[in-house]
Amino acid sequence: MVQYNFKKITVVPSGKDFIDIILSRTQRQTPTVVHKGYAISRLRKFYMRKVKFTQQNFHEKLTAIIDEFPRLDDIHPFYGDLLHVLYNKDHYKLALGQINTARNIIGKIAKDYVKLLKYGDSLYRCKCLKVAALGRMCTVIKRIGPSLAYLEQIRQHMARLPSIDPNTRTILICGYPNVGKSSFINKITRADVDVQPYAFTTKSLFVGHTDYKYLRYQVIDTPGILDRPFEDRNIIEMCSITALAHIRAAVLFFLDISGSCGYSIAQQAALFHSIKALFMNKPLIIVCNKIDLQPLEGLSDDDIKLVMEMKAEASQTVIAQGDEPNDESVFLTMSALTDDGVIAVKNAACERLLNQRVEMKMKSKKINDCLNRFHVAIPKPRDTRERPPCIPQAVLEARAKANVEKEKRKLEKDLENENGGAGVYSANLRKHYILANDEWKEDIMPEILDGHNVYDFVDPDILQRLEELEGEEEGFQLEAEAEEKYFEIDGKELTPEELEALAEIRKKKSLLIQEHRMKKSTAESRPVLPRKFDKDRKFTSERMGRQLSALGLDPTAATNRARCRSVSRRGQKRERSLAREGEDGDAMDIDGEQSSKKLRTRSRSRSKSRSKSQPPGEVTPGEGFRNSSQKLKALKIAKKSVKIRNKTARRGEADRVIPNLKPKHLFSGKRSIGKTSRR
Amino acid sequence: MPQGDYIELHRKRHGYQFDHFDRKRKKEAREVHESSDYAQKALGIKGKMFAKKRYAEKALMKKTLAIHEESSSRRKVDEPVHEGAVPAYLLDRDVTTRAKVLSNTIKQKRKEKAGKWEVPLPKVRPVAEDEMFRVVRSGKHKTKQWKRMVTKVTRVGTEFTRKPPKYERFIRPMGLRFTIANVTHPELKCTFNLDIIGIKKNPNGPMYTSLGVVTKGTIIEVNVSELGLVTPGGKVVWGKYAQVTNDPENDGCINAVLLV
Repeated sequence: MVQYNFKKITVVPSGKDFIDIILSRTQRQTPTVVHKGYAISRLRKFYMRKVKFTQQNFHEKLTAIIDEFPRLDDIHPFYGDLLHVLYNKDHYKLALGQINTARNIIGKIAKDYVKLLKYGDSLYRCKCLKVAALGRMCTVIKRIGPSLAYLEQIRQHMARLPSIDPNTRTILICGYPNVGKSSFINKITRADVDVQPYAFTTKSLFVGHTDYKYLRYQVIDTPGILDRPFEDRNIIEMCSITALAHIRAAVLFFLDISGSCGYSIAQQAALFHSIKALFMNKPLIIVCNKIDLQPLEGLSDDDIKLVMEMKAEASQTVIAQGDEPNDESVFLTMSALTDDGVIAVKNAACERLLNQRVEMKMKSKKINDCLNRFHVAIPKPRDTRERPPCIPQAVLEARAKANVEKEKRKLEKDLENENGGAGVYSANLRKHYILANDEWKEDIMPEILDGHNVYDFVDPDILQRLEELEGEEEGFQLEAEAEEKYFEIDGKELTPEELEALAEIRKKKSLLIQEHRMKKSTAESRPVLPRKFDKDRKFTSERMGRQLSALGLDPTAATNRARCRSVSRRGQKRERSLAREGEDGDAMDIDGEQSSKKLRTRSRSRSKSRSKSQPPGEVTPGEGFRNSSQKLKALKIAKKSVKIRNKTARRGEADRVIPNLKPKHLFSGKRSIGKTSRR
Repeated sequence: MPQGDYIELHRKRHGYQFDHFDRKRKKEAREVHESSDYAQKALGIKGKMFAKKRYAEKALMKKTLAIHEESSSRRKVDEPVHEGAVPAYLLDRDVTTRAKVLSNTIKQKRKEKAGKWEVPLPKVRPVAEDEMFRVVRSGKHKTKQWKRMVTKVTRVGTEFTRKPPKYERFIRPMGLRFTIANVTHPELKCTFNLDIIGIKKNPNGPMYTSLGVVTKGTIIEVNVSELGLVTPGGKVVWGKYAQVTNDPENDGCINAVLLV
């Protein structure tokens, strides 16, 4: 299936631009430096190359133009005629012919000048010949400038032609201007054709696609045709005539029975009879449009007679095909404005076209190849006894019941077909929703409320949480009430100190509660380490001291004991200060404190070198390593990450060095005084 | 798929972008600066071509401006003086003009007697022999140097046949033989491609005339039957002289001016 797509034609440059492109290309892509002193053969070759290169480029580009523009005789006659109508075949062929001659002339020029260059005996002479050659080629192109401009305009127009496939299923819509053809195509396809109240809104062919019975149909909208003799027709009307003449399609002839298009039914009937020759061998359907303005029954007798005549003609074509004339498939009414009968028209047209095409395929020779491959084998009858299929009675009854049910129940598919088919009707999926309240089925869910996305706040168990929250709130309220009640039962007022203490207690309690809540909320996501492995060093003896003093106790004894027993002092001997504490508390205390402070600092710094006799890869629990090899790897990676990258790409110790083992200044040269017997 | 006049249709339905006209106006205003930037930056052949184009545009602009300014002011126009117009006190003296005419005719007669004709190019650069001929070595050991090849364009007659190669001294290569000249009529100012009948005179010497060498300044005889000239007597003129005005070996073609 050839796609008639003229969008792939390369842009045709104007004369001046063409010359600029080719000459600058020659200047860029051939060697540019040449001197007087070079050998004469080299000079000649240099200039001959330039001349040949320019000629080749011109040849290439002109050939591309000639090849890409379609030849009117080689394409489908529909497109050939359409292009003739639009652009005038003769003018088009002349322009392309001019380009062809230009190409040949440039070839001849190049040949002549290359021959002359062989006799060039100086740089100046060769250069002059080259300049003359290029100049002449450019003059040729300047002369065909108007043809190039014309071809560029044609190319731009051709790119916007609709890509109609002349061989596939097509429906053609024709009629007087302003009868409603474009509105109809807008209804059944996605083509967005301009619809306006004045005549000749559609000035060229438009194509849209629609589906019927899982097959794709092309629908072609044509500009309106007036009833005129053939020679007087203008280009726009000739487009429709061409389409009618060359494309084998189902034809929908549109009638405007209300007369609001500005033409009477008599005129439209006259048009019909003048172009009915074009409807031969095509399924024809007469469509009466705009019945919302004027119903069919309200027409006058003359008009009805004319319409019936047209219907008779249309039925003739059906009979000619061999089918029996069916009123509904030949004459239809519709209104594009109110969508009344639009689908019926489309279905009828598609059906008629499909039947005709299937019949033609059956009659053609190609079908025999396929038919040979089917073979329904029927066994030879043994005797003349009848053996009908044996179906038990129960099954038959069940089937009958199911049929009745099926008939009673309306399927979604039937609904879809009634309302316009697969592409037009979309099923209402909401009617089967199961909701608490049936009225909520058709509700529209808002998406944005007060500047927030609703879906950010929606939760599947939001109702449950709401209940929990309310329960909690009630609980708090009860507590508050209980507290208040407590005070009320007591009766007497509290002193300010008591009030203070009460406030403090409450604050502390709320702090504890908050902390507990935080811990509880993150308990699932974060593993909790036991206290003895605290990395952040939160549980220090100072903290203990602070807490004890906050409680009102003296922390010194406890902190001292804790410090004595700390990990950092594990490898230490027992302190003398401890033994001497009983004798002279104060002095020893001070000393002890000092010395213990010193010991502490020393011990901590020394401890890592002394007491921590751990190998580097030993894993302490709480660090997060699975085994020692993982820890060693981690240490290695940490060390590597701190290394500075060599972003300046300086030579490193691993880069190859080619040493200069015998520097010249050491191994050569005479001395100013003395001998050079040793180096 | 966009079909038909989809751009116009879109504009009709949706109008232009809300800032379309602003952007267009600003883009046009910026173009001035951009083109001046380019003119300052462009180097080499591109710079020269652009400068030439710009100069032409500027000249045109200046002209239109001058025209606009002109129309607003009025100027006194001097009446042109007729040729031969003479103040009143010199009216009866026409002796000098007659004398001029006489001397002109005498000059012409003298020239004809001397054999000098009026041609567009009276003087041409003389062409040396080593420029005109190239030595062609021949013989078993390429020692004989008596043959010469003509390096300029030649016109040999239509019935020309070469002498036997063993005896021909002057080789006129086929690639340099031309038959057609582009002849310009000096008054009609149009050019025709006319056949060369023969070489009348080559200013560099009679040897070149006999060889048929065409250089700048050569008088050639061309076939002017396609011009349709007729003598006062009624006969059709089919041959006229023309003088070559270019160097044919440098241009690849013979350009000549018709001698009327």
